[in-house]
Amino acid sequence: MTRLVGAELLKLRTTRTFWGLALAALALVLLIVLLNVAIEDSFGAEHDVRSLLATTALTGLLTLVLGVVVGAGEYRHGTIAWTLLVTPNRLRAVSAQVLACAVGGFAIGIGVAAITALLALPWLAAKDAAMPGSGELVRVFAGSALYAGLAAALGAGLGALLRNQVAAVVIVLVQIFVVDPTLAALVDGSAQFTLTGLGVAMSGGADSSSDALPFGVAVLVWALYATLLGALAAISTARRDI
Amino acid sequence: MLEIRELTKRFGTTAAVDGLSFTAEPGRVLGFLGPNGAGKTTTLRVLLGLTLPSSGAATVDGRRYRELKDPVRMVGAVLEGPQFHPGRTGRNHLRVLALAAGLPESRVDEVLRLVELDGAGAKRVKAYSLGMRQRLSLAGALLGDPGALVLDEPANGLDPQGIRWLRDFLRAEAGRGRTVLVSSHVLAEMAQTVDQVVVISRGRLVAEGTLEELTRGAEAPVWVRSPEAERLRGALASKEGVTAEAGSAGADWLAVRGASLELVGTTAAEEGVAVFELYRPRQSLEHVFLELTGGTEAAR
Repeated sequence: MTRLVGAELLKLRTTRTFWGLALAALALVLLIVLLNVAIEDSFGAEHDVRSLLATTALTGLLTLVLGVVVGAGEYRHGTIAWTLLVTPNRLRAVSAQVLACAVGGFAIGIGVAAITALLALPWLAAKDAAMPGSGELVRVFAGSALYAGLAAALGAGLGALLRNQVAAVVIVLVQIFVVDPTLAALVDGSAQFTLTGLGVAMSGGADSSSDALPFGVAVLVWALYATLLGALAAISTARRDI
Repeated sequence: MLEIRELTKRFGTTAAVDGLSFTAEPGRVLGFLGPNGAGKTTTLRVLLGLTLPSSGAATVDGRRYRELKDPVRMVGAVLEGPQFHPGRTGRNHLRVLALAAGLPESRVDEVLRLVELDGAGAKRVKAYSLGMRQRLSLAGALLGDPGALVLDEPANGLDPQGIRWLRDFLRAEAGRGRTVLVSSHVLAEMAQTVDQVVVISRGRLVAEGTLEELTRGAEAPVWVRSPEAERLRGALASKEGVTAEAGSAGADWLAVRGASLELVGTTAAEEGVAVFELYRPRQSLEHVFLELTGGTEAAR
């Protein structure tokens, strides 16, 4: 399995989509964080700084799209046939792709978090911002990176299941921007189980008054979603003609 | 050995492949022929585990492709109209396959040299011509140095030089003991490459054997040109089982069926009739092919 994941990672690295979305995530996060630091005169509460730095979780939105594009892209470009000629076992093939996307997404998340920390923290310190403790900062940045990895894995499973790249991207965006908020508004207690709610819980962006799930539980629930989609993708790939 | 056994594949109510059986043996090139839509690609995709059969089986050394532990070392495949990620370089495409199959990276450069693409390995596939894509696909098939090659219309997009290269290559691979199964809808393309052929039409087997066996059954008439064609026609027609008709090429031509060249020549000598031309055209392979497959493209 290690070599299959390695091959999938090589696939990721050798396309422009991966680097393009990684740069887009970095640019988006830096733009929001650094503009806020520049505009705001003071950050009087630790919570303000933590909320701002949790913007790194936006990386997860882009790695989610990356996963979808990669998973469905195999069908769009017809490269799935090559993949399955080398690895006829559908479960192994899909698992390797989902795991590789998780690793790739996590790497992007770590990169974005590290560069954001490198640029924003000294600036915030210079503005005498009320800084959270180092443990809290690590949790925000590591949580965002982990979320980015898990988001890419879920996206890969969804993409491999739906196979149509455009439809898969549209569905995932509608889920996040339409279904999640609608569900949260209509069904009490459902917000914490939506993709948005879980993302907020993982990235440390929730304030103490919110009903977000604890970090570990949110990670488990998201991993469960990703595993379920990956398993469905493997089953459907095994039963369908390529 | 590659074996197709009572294979049927239906798409809805249409049978793309209908009870097809044949075997490809090591050390030989088996041409898998049929018009477009005859079911060749479907058959090969079932053999490669990419399409599920409705019934019957397609096996590699007795096992279904999906059950193979190390498929890359057993079967190398070139799919029809091979597809690649356009933004990935040819070399990186092969590196991905090699890594997944546990093959050393040095093998990538070896196969690129083998298909004469070593100068283009660093280019993105979107810059490749169709012929280069076919060669890249062939390089992918050869990565694992497999015992069998399955090639679906590999000559598509190749120029005459490329087709000749492919022909020599396939012959050499069979000479090394590999099983080669190659499909084509152009019989002439395969004529100098294959040891045996399987011809299908509308998913069914219509002929199987060597090309010689296929053409033997459809012998062309003997053509003879003589200034006394009518007299010669009468003499030939008196022979048992021989028919002679005025040829469409002119009044001095005869088309003689049921007679050998020797019989026509001897009869002319016995009658004292001058003969200017006497020959039997080799029956066109395409003619035989069209007769076998009903002369039409399958309506799919």
